[in-house]
Amino acid sequence: MKGRDVVITGVGCLGAYGIGLPALARALAVGLPCSTPIDRSAGYHRRHAATQVAACAGLDLSPWLSPQAARRMSDLSQFAVACARMAIADAGLSDVRSDRTAVAVATAFGPGGFTEQLARQILEKGGKAASPFLFTDCVANAAAGQIGIDLGARGANLTICQREAGPLLALAQGADEIARGRADVCVAGAVDEIKPLVHALLDRFRALARQDGDGERPRPFDARRGGMLAGEGATMLVLEAEGNARARGARILARVGPTVRAFDATASRAGFGHDATALAATLSARLAAELAEVDTVVSTAAGTRAGDALEAAILWATMPQGPRVLAPKAVHGEYGGGTLATAMLALAGSEFAFPPACDQPDATLGIRLAAGHLRANRVLLTALAAGGAAAWTLLDQP
Amino acid sequence: MTAAGVLVTGLGAVSSLGSTVDALWQAALAGRRGIADLRLFPTHSHRTSLAAEVTTEAAAAARRGLGRAERFACTAAHAATADLDPSALRTARAGVFFGSSTGALFEGERFFAELLQQRESTLRPIAAHQNDGPGTAVARALGVRGPVVTFSTACTSANVAIAAALDALRSGEIDVAIAGGADELCETTYAGFNSLRAVDPQATRPFRRSRAGLSMGEGAGVVLLETLAHAQARGARGLCELVGAGRSCDAHHVSAPEPNGAGAAAAIRVALHEAGLDAAAVTFVNAHGTGTPHNDDAESKAMQAVFGARAASLPLTSTKSLVGHLLGAAGGIEAVLTTLSIVHRLLPPTAGEEPIDAALGLDVVTGAPRQLPAHNVGLSTNLAFGGNNAVILLRSHSA
Repeated sequence: MKGRDVVITGVGCLGAYGIGLPALARALAVGLPCSTPIDRSAGYHRRHAATQVAACAGLDLSPWLSPQAARRMSDLSQFAVACARMAIADAGLSDVRSDRTAVAVATAFGPGGFTEQLARQILEKGGKAASPFLFTDCVANAAAGQIGIDLGARGANLTICQREAGPLLALAQGADEIARGRADVCVAGAVDEIKPLVHALLDRFRALARQDGDGERPRPFDARRGGMLAGEGATMLVLEAEGNARARGARILARVGPTVRAFDATASRAGFGHDATALAATLSARLAAELAEVDTVVSTAAGTRAGDALEAAILWATMPQGPRVLAPKAVHGEYGGGTLATAMLALAGSEFAFPPACDQPDATLGIRLAAGHLRANRVLLTALAAGGAAAWTLLDQP
Repeated sequence: MTAAGVLVTGLGAVSSLGSTVDALWQAALAGRRGIADLRLFPTHSHRTSLAAEVTTEAAAAARRGLGRAERFACTAAHAATADLDPSALRTARAGVFFGSSTGALFEGERFFAELLQQRESTLRPIAAHQNDGPGTAVARALGVRGPVVTFSTACTSANVAIAAALDALRSGEIDVAIAGGADELCETTYAGFNSLRAVDPQATRPFRRSRAGLSMGEGAGVVLLETLAHAQARGARGLCELVGAGRSCDAHHVSAPEPNGAGAAAAIRVALHEAGLDAAAVTFVNAHGTGTPHNDDAESKAMQAVFGARAASLPLTSTKSLVGHLLGAAGGIEAVLTTLSIVHRLLPPTAGEEPIDAALGLDVVTGAPRQLPAHNVGLSTNLAFGGNNAVILLRSHSA
């Protein structure tokens, strides 16, 4: 869909790195994972399970969310609403109460904490003990709904659950709402919370980095990589039609290009597939000319063996010019839409450290991570999901 | 119809009324309810004991190892695509757009119960738990290589998915889409809706004076969508056209609908606008019709806002009175039933005996199927938690 040109005019983000783009920039300039020990007191974890998580504990959301409002929400909804408000303020918008304001949010796991509490109530005390408060905010679209209520956004209100591909799919849906003229403003992004149960389950699937003799770190494209760092947080972007944004004198941060969506049917239910040839062919067929001008890739690589290998094969097959590759999940972890915020930093110009945990690049993959101060002209955001979904999005300098 | 037109060319359904489209349709025409005592899990600790449970082994036996919702989804998707050359799906020009509100949460609950007792056995059940499980299972089973997107907007999930598929087809991204939804019964949603006092202890009574809540259901509803050009090239018979979709948000309350139905009305108006239709073109409504006092009241006000005085004579039914509320799959099975209504020119009745609530001002079809005119535009509406509204418009196709 071509339609109206879509631009990004505001960003709100939070994660284990802190609140806002400057906090993320500082973390990426250091290159170390923003990890802390996961709470294992519930007994969900096995003895040798991963111990680290990129958690948002201790973040002060009060500038964005009153304590009274926060009490009515799961952590997930709090993250989402706070970032939506942050993004709207960053865009210089004050009142977006309208049926022309849309919301498109991705979440891999939804409000897992509330769901766990509710399931515990039911399993341990019976169905009659179920809390209506927990139930109404434990649906996957609670965060998007809370944004809608908070902002008065009465346009389409979308929630996408497609694991690691979700953030780009949500961005694409949001951009489509603007391009087609259905909405004038769209808050689009991703949010996730990582509670001990989700962490323990990810570990059981061997998705998480464990102790490897040199710490427990995510190592994208590294020879020693053995899993990812689960991270929680949120990133929300304000999307507008370029004509509208320019007419109101808005600061334009990026132009949203096309998104390519594909599926790798060789993937198992919980793992990555291996059909790089087909995925690369789809990407190339849709974006052949545009890919030649990509100078920076904000990669989906999180440190998993199969996922990073698939990513590397696709990058080699589609962009022989060898663009700079950033792997920010080494810092902010997987989930919560951190790559969206990282892409905004890359376009604005920022310092990126070489992640010390990735100092033994896997020669078979042939990817060496970029470092130093860089400012991208064209970013390709990549997303490969366990289960097979894939998406790629172009972002350009305005 | 323009070249950008989109046809429904295949249907698949799994519900408490059976695992075939024909079983569903025959039961619907007869006004036969699929709501009975729930057997999937004990109900002694819950406030109610009825549900529309899928009990046919046809849906379960063929694909052991998958979660229930995944099995429902795959069974319905295979049926919907039965007349299509499989190679047409094993391409980047085919996509899956699916809705699910809980994925395979029943299996997730069983795993969690074992985990709490330190005796969990296998990870397989939990792998299906994620909300994208059903749609992803369909894509994997059929070898789809194009876009695969799961929407989880509670009870509007499937309609939102169908709307996204329509966009993808119209934009030229794909030629074929498998769209719909799947959900399964589980204790979390069963107890959750009961905690809101939103479940009728009896079988649900939508639009009746005595209505007292919904009946939970499970299953899948899938439509095969094709561009007109793709369908014509393979000589496929179009069952009807998907001509529009509309989505909106009440921005009012996390679980209660906006009482005047303003959000639902806005979604209907968007769909009509995108379809290039006037409200007068709509010939019948497959309503959300959950049977909760607030939903049916708000929905009736939305109908009056859009259709004016004609709302009182516009045939309307709630098929949730037959198959229960399939949550994220509701829009899927209601799209199937709306398509069948267009094909057969019959609108199934809203099951039940009690008097219709005249205060709602609607022409609710009861007792026997209502004969429809030769050319139809059917409106299927869904309302959901989060103030989410999503509707689709289907139209008779003559080719």
